[in-house]
Amino acid sequence: MSWFFKSKQVNLAILVASFLIGFVPYFLKIPQIYEFTVSLTNVASVVGQFTIVIAIYSQYRRSLKFIRERRKGWVYNIYLLALMSLMILMGFTLGEHHATYMWLVNSIVAPCSSVVYGILAFYMFSAGARAFRARSLKASLLIVGGITVLLYQAPLTGSFLPGISPYAVFLSQTVGMSLNRMFAIAIITGAIMLNVRMLTGRELAFLGFAREEES
Amino acid sequence: MATYDKRWAYLLLFILVLLPMLQPIGMPISVSELTKEYYAQLQTLEEGDIVLASWSTEYSGYMELKPGMIATHKYYIKNGIKLFICLGHPEGLALVDALLDKELASYMEKYDYTYGEDYIILGFALPNQAATLAMATDFQASVKVDWKGESIAGTFLDRIETGADIDMISDFTTGAGNPGLINHVVLTFGTPMIQNQIGVSLPGSFMNLDAGLITGLLASTRGGSELELLINEPGPGLIAMDAFTLGHYLLIIFIVIGNIGYFGWTKRLAEEMERTTIR
Amino acid sequence: MAELLFEIPGIESGRAVGLILILGIFALGIYYMRRGKLPYIRRVAAIDAIQEAVGRATEMGKPVLCSYGRGGFAYSVIAALSILGHVAKTCAETNTRLLVPTGGSHTGYLTRELAVDIVKGQYSVAGKPEMFNEDDMPFLSGEQYSFTAGYIGMLVRDRPGAVIMTGGHSSEAMNIAEMSNLVGALTITSGTYVSNMAALACASDYIMLMDEQPAAGAYLSRDPEQLASIQVIDIYKVLSLALMVVGLIILNVTGNNFIGRLLAS
Repeated sequence: MSWFFKSKQVNLAILVASFLIGFVPYFLKIPQIYEFTVSLTNVASVVGQFTIVIAIYSQYRRSLKFIRERRKGWVYNIYLLALMSLMILMGFTLGEHHATYMWLVNSIVAPCSSVVYGILAFYMFSAGARAFRARSLKASLLIVGGITVLLYQAPLTGSFLPGISPYAVFLSQTVGMSLNRMFAIAIITGAIMLNVRMLTGRELAFLGFAREEES
Repeated sequence: MATYDKRWAYLLLFILVLLPMLQPIGMPISVSELTKEYYAQLQTLEEGDIVLASWSTEYSGYMELKPGMIATHKYYIKNGIKLFICLGHPEGLALVDALLDKELASYMEKYDYTYGEDYIILGFALPNQAATLAMATDFQASVKVDWKGESIAGTFLDRIETGADIDMISDFTTGAGNPGLINHVVLTFGTPMIQNQIGVSLPGSFMNLDAGLITGLLASTRGGSELELLINEPGPGLIAMDAFTLGHYLLIIFIVIGNIGYFGWTKRLAEEMERTTIR
Repeated sequence: MAELLFEIPGIESGRAVGLILILGIFALGIYYMRRGKLPYIRRVAAIDAIQEAVGRATEMGKPVLCSYGRGGFAYSVIAALSILGHVAKTCAETNTRLLVPTGGSHTGYLTRELAVDIVKGQYSVAGKPEMFNEDDMPFLSGEQYSFTAGYIGMLVRDRPGAVIMTGGHSSEAMNIAEMSNLVGALTITSGTYVSNMAALACASDYIMLMDEQPAAGAYLSRDPEQLASIQVIDIYKVLSLALMVVGLIILNVTGNNFIGRLLAS
């Protein structure tokens, strides 16, 4: 029986069927399969969330190895495991709406998340200050454009230099937007091409079928 | 060599951001056309209209979106707009406490804005496009309880069958947003959508705004502070604008100093090394 | 949005042209994949940079850190896996330790298995299977900033000589690029998250902009499917450009938004 589930053709058939169930109702008016599509997408959504179990297992395994081997920074792994265990225990026993669990989220998880994001500002600052050098004509033009947009984004500038607005808006919205559009076309076309490769059986690595090496 | 330890730059930036937050200077700010348009979209709503507030941000993004979120929700509360709040990220749980219980609690009390009557939290209801599609096509079948497991039957959500029954989507997002809302609600049912977006993701949102997929866009902390000004409810956004301005100006100063250093020392040093290289 | 030019009975309103365009990609993709003749792709400059980076790390006796992004099975991640395969091959040949942080999203574990197979395979092909250590490819977390924190931890502890960050990274890429700069690593990144590109260009030593990364992946792997993808993308870019130009001309000359209405149909 296992040959059936391991069969490349069966897996590919299921893939194609799932694709059609999702793809066809979006374009064609076939209300009969619409409900089935919604149920199938709900199932996919729930299954996807189970990867968190894998993440937890992997983190435990890795952290315990670090602690056993006393690798650099192993104390932080103890802290990580302790906090992870506490959150899991609290979440399952008390529920996510309990005051203690919410305190853990608001006092530890949320500020840590904010700090990692907030550091971005400093990194962007140092990267920008380091990278903007007028090495050539193009670099000089880039600096002029960059400073124009930076000035516009500072709220105070609008009150003493209102004339900068059309230039900055042109750079950030028109030029920036056109680049975004071209990138979006590339991304979307690439994503559809990946689907083509998967559906034609040429890219099945994600199903666990390694590509046959050409001799 | 004209270099500096970047930690001095970090310290200077930290001080210039911290001081105005503790002691606001009160620099004037101008309101951009983008924010005026966002506000105009808010004004199209009438009392009793139902808005889907999609909080698709983790706690880190909330820090940047906070002024816009507070100002927008204050508008909804003041004008009696019905809200159902869906989280697009597991960390959104912390936002319920941070935004509703801490920032807006007294405001909601002032306008008698109560849970169950005026707003409902559906929890982590928009984890991906699949869930959004399910909600948009058959709301009553896919959503039966709120985030605490209590039935939503008998509330204003009984009026919602599909995405067409939602009067507006108010998306607060950090990344590309929840594309499911655009794909399955805006494009399918024509539901208007406004978005509060973080600074780095704005270029992508401009594309959607230009295409008409979103009808209003609030740009990061600055947009939030401008909205606070427009609705006459000063808050954390306006407090942050002084720091915002000083931070930007400091970066410009460092770019100029860096270029002076480059032309004064580094370039000359490179030319000197080239001249003295043994060939 | 522009009003529709036409509607086809049986097809949802406003989706007919989208369906035709998608079917066009399907048709072109299958044609080019079956063609047999490999299309020409120029050598992207970043490929030389990757060689230089691995060489530098080998000389310094430091490991190479290479990541393929935090998304699931996405287009950019597949291309990044080709680059990972090339880096793994080079590291195996030069006896350099390779670190591959994985995770960052809930679907990241799916691609991790593929990445492990690729790296293990390359070490086996080089005749050094004992060099492969799965613990050098940890699944850090399914959450973005937890993954970032773990990644930065690896950078600070292991101090790699080269950091090659390709595939689907979003805002955490800036954190990682600047930190790798701070630890003295040669940083090669690819900008697939549009909003990040400007900041990454400042922070990295080399950057592959947008399609250069899939092109580099296709070039290195010589995979007919990946090469066909690049070709179809280029065709659609030219088509988009042509539609834009024609649409602008028609709009300005006749005042009729014909192309806009056609695409909205």
